[in-house]
Amino acid sequence: MKDFTEPHHEEDIGLQTEEMTINMGPQHPSTHGVLRVVIKSDGEIIRGAYPDIGYLHRCFEKHTENREYIQGIPFTSRMDYVAAMSQELGYVLAIEKLLNLEIPERAQAIRVIISELQRIASHLLSIGTYGLDMGGFTAFLYAFRDREKVLRIFEEICGARLLYNYMRPGGVSRDLTPGVIDKIKDFTKYLKPNLDEMNDLLTNNSIFVSRTAHIGIMDVNHSISYGLSGPNLRGSGFNWDLRKDQPYCGYEKYDFDVCVGEGERGEPGDCWNRYYVRMKEMYQSLRIIEQACESLPEGEHTAKAPKSPKPVGEIYMESECPRGTLGYHIVADGGKKPWRVKAKSPCFIATSTIDEMCRGMMLADVVAFLGSIDIVLGEVDR
Amino acid sequence: MSSLRQYFQNINDGVVSTYKGMMVTLRAFLKTQGFRKVRDGYDYGAGPITISYPEVKDDIPLNSRNRLFMHQEGCISCNQCAVICPVECITIESRKKTAEEDDGSKTPAHFGSKPLKLKLLRFDIDEALCCFCGLCTEVCPTECLVHTPEYEYSKFDRDHLIYDYLNFNDDNPLPEG
Repeated sequence: MKDFTEPHHEEDIGLQTEEMTINMGPQHPSTHGVLRVVIKSDGEIIRGAYPDIGYLHRCFEKHTENREYIQGIPFTSRMDYVAAMSQELGYVLAIEKLLNLEIPERAQAIRVIISELQRIASHLLSIGTYGLDMGGFTAFLYAFRDREKVLRIFEEICGARLLYNYMRPGGVSRDLTPGVIDKIKDFTKYLKPNLDEMNDLLTNNSIFVSRTAHIGIMDVNHSISYGLSGPNLRGSGFNWDLRKDQPYCGYEKYDFDVCVGEGERGEPGDCWNRYYVRMKEMYQSLRIIEQACESLPEGEHTAKAPKSPKPVGEIYMESECPRGTLGYHIVADGGKKPWRVKAKSPCFIATSTIDEMCRGMMLADVVAFLGSIDIVLGEVDR
Repeated sequence: MSSLRQYFQNINDGVVSTYKGMMVTLRAFLKTQGFRKVRDGYDYGAGPITISYPEVKDDIPLNSRNRLFMHQEGCISCNQCAVICPVECITIESRKKTAEEDDGSKTPAHFGSKPLKLKLLRFDIDEALCCFCGLCTEVCPTECLVHTPEYEYSKFDRDHLIYDYLNFNDDNPLPEG
């Protein structure tokens, strides 16, 4: 059979149709934010897709450069509002490395628990909305029901549901409230059967598989040359996780596996495998949370850190946030305010792959691809 | 032959996965009909979880960060909250007390009951600007500035969200702390 997804097949048979330009977004529900993709399409086949970003630009970097280090933390949580804890953690880790701070054991364990819970919440949102894009409404509702539990735990710990401002240089702003560890343990027991349910609803559903398997295949070399990270890179079958390879916050103490796309359905690098890596990662996050809750040490929740730090030097610190490797580059000149702050966002890199990946795809598969790379436009535009 | 097998295999997959998905929703449906589980007194949402909001209100944790409230008697005009606020929503004006203004007022008991030398002239919080980060309540030395769990305070006019904590009248009523 002739492969009709191959570009420029009309020239072969001497047929030319007019290219049509379609604006997808910025209000399109499946772009997950304010992304506008200018699609040049030839019938159902896409000849070019140009992502137009910047609708959510809020000058994060300039804001942080005009404020003290601690005042910058609320702005970092507004970058990726779906995984705010991980964004704060990355920024705070960079400041700590500049100040050479020793972090207490308890603070590190709390950070691990919190950021893994955040990973689960973020992946649940990603999977739920992906199901919604693929026409499975039930999975979306179930995922948000479970995500609500995580937000409840966060609200009890730090007082806010979405934009936490919980991390501080040296530790966390508040200690865990009494009894919240039991709630987290209950949550890990609660979530496992629900994830199995989600597997029944989405992962092995034949409609979902046929819409996502063998679609948007990104091989390993391609992913690395683009600089993809996180579940998008691991979905291609490349074993790279900063929690394992460059441990921070004491991740080396916990026993967990790095999940890679193995091609149980489809082939490594397609939409289904990127989705399934997120699914498997939630099980591993639950494992880490269980271990951290069991071995939570007593002690201080924060180190003695200066109230307004005045570090000197230059630092680039990376951490593994739910969407990939988040890096903060801070240049400090010894003043109260950072001289330069630059965030390397994993979603921006994922957005840059859209054009090449979408060429030759069918129009309906663009939705599948955009959902599977799981971009949050707050982080792309910053 | 193999394509024929594939055809029937696809039908089988479709039927099986639809059956599995429907069983999940059926189980969730049965849970709402009185089969819900409450484990150790903590209801993990097996069953109906939607709350009809204006009639039924959710329990908000006591330390949740919503509208700010300032206890006027505790403020020592140290200005730390206004300095740390990343969006500059707090405005404080104060000056040194003259001899006749000195009424012998003291700082709160948990802050040492020292004589209060500054007179607070203005304490405005623009709740429309506030980003609820909680940095101001952390630096407040007398703990007079707090986040309350109160979240229903929307107004028709944005100017009405500027709370003047020193002059309260009918137009600017004292929020409940």
